[in-house]
Amino acid sequence: MSQFAQLGIVIRYEFLKHIRRARLYVILGIALLTELAVLILIPVLRDGYPNNVTVMAVLLTVGPSLAALGAVFFAGDAIAGEFESKTGFLLFINPIKRYILWLGKYLAGFIAVALLILFTYIIIVVSLLVIYQEVPFETLTSFGLCILFASATLSLTFLFSAISKGSMGATVMTLVFVWVISGILESVLGFTGNPYWFMISAGGDSIAMAYGGMESFMEGLGLGRFGAMMEQFQPLKVGEAAWGMTIYLVVGFAASVIIGNRRQLA
Amino acid sequence: MTECIVIEELTKYYSKFLALDKLSLRVPQKENIGLLGPNGAGKSTTLKILCGLIRPSSGKAYIDGIDVVAQSEKALSKIGAIIETPEFYSYLTPEDNLGYFGRLRGMKGEQLKRRIREVIELVKLEKWGKVKIEKFSRGMKQRLALAQCLLHDPPVLILDEPALGLDPRGVVEFREIIESVGKEKTVFFASHQLVEVAQICSQVAIINNGQLLAYDSITDLEKKYQSLEQAYLTLTGGIS
Repeated sequence: MSQFAQLGIVIRYEFLKHIRRARLYVILGIALLTELAVLILIPVLRDGYPNNVTVMAVLLTVGPSLAALGAVFFAGDAIAGEFESKTGFLLFINPIKRYILWLGKYLAGFIAVALLILFTYIIIVVSLLVIYQEVPFETLTSFGLCILFASATLSLTFLFSAISKGSMGATVMTLVFVWVISGILESVLGFTGNPYWFMISAGGDSIAMAYGGMESFMEGLGLGRFGAMMEQFQPLKVGEAAWGMTIYLVVGFAASVIIGNRRQLA
Repeated sequence: MTECIVIEELTKYYSKFLALDKLSLRVPQKENIGLLGPNGAGKSTTLKILCGLIRPSSGKAYIDGIDVVAQSEKALSKIGAIIETPEFYSYLTPEDNLGYFGRLRGMKGEQLKRRIREVIELVKLEKWGKVKIEKFSRGMKQRLALAQCLLHDPPVLILDEPALGLDPRGVVEFREIIESVGKEKTVFFASHQLVEVAQICSQVAIINNGQLLAYDSITDLEKKYQSLEQAYLTLTGGIS
């Protein structure tokens, strides 16, 4: 049996696992509720939708950004779970190379999270068409960056899953790394005028930045320009952020495969 | 006689703890061999090395002449195994789980479906084939583990305390299944249940502290020590 055929089987059954578990639907529900909250609260709190379609599009990217973070919940137990819950005693005794297992699990998680992201972008497109009768072309760029961010987050979660004893530890570590540590470092680096494109949280920001910089967004909301404290702040360049996410994607997954292959199920 | 499982000078350290100390053992083809020893003797470690779950610190192990470390996948294609109390993917059904493992071993289509039905019937779980495993008791999971072990009709069975968690009827049924299929297969079987081992196996290897203490037919051990239990206790240090 070819390794390619085995990879297809792993993807199929790992995806089936995602479908049968509640977490897929919970993440989908949260992303939908967020989009709904934006669509309902914006006109209620600010007397109508913004005049600029791009500003509304930026506001709606909160849904796909949350969906992308769903990658953490799909991948947290991908490697650690096989060791922690002892399912590895059944899976690893099959004649299949472990890197095929990890790759199949990665791709199954990617498909699940990509479908979630696609669904949220469909909502964005439909909402913008209904409200403004137009959709900014940058939505496509934003979608691509969101998929890249999800892939990078998935890789990073795989890495934490490979080094963690438990699935919960891997999930929490990734969330803390992406949302807290990376977010804080990005802010510190940004405000002090240093490059920060290599922080994974910057990759998350790029999903909205695809529509333009922070300044144009704030102006669009009628909030004026940045104050003096932001003088040194260098706006994120989307291309650089994409490179940063690609590094996380490749290095994170490669490291997780190497570590996952070396782990023993004693 | 052809040897199906060959273990040569197998040594395994867990950090500084020596679990296997140059263990050597040869299991002939189509023989049912019991592996006995107290807790921590090295039984599970030996079986896990044979199944590619852990790597030996030194030494070699072969299944049908295939090095289990150098050609792990090829060696694994020869075996069916139950190691410890394995857990299945609880949000899938037995049919899903067996379908997954069967396909990974190259089975497909009607042949796979038929075989899944057969093994599920064999372990008497036919009413539970489409029920999510999260509702299963430990004994039911152990029955299912036996089903996955036999699914691809492997020539070698490696079993580590396979009757753990089974009720008395389950133990008897399990024994009958292994006795039946074991006639055509090589069975390497670790257990604490001496009665069970005596009923299934022709020979036993007794190990302790990672070393082989005795490897003989049950008949010869009974002659020498009066009973298998006496042999076990004497050799493992319980009775002098």
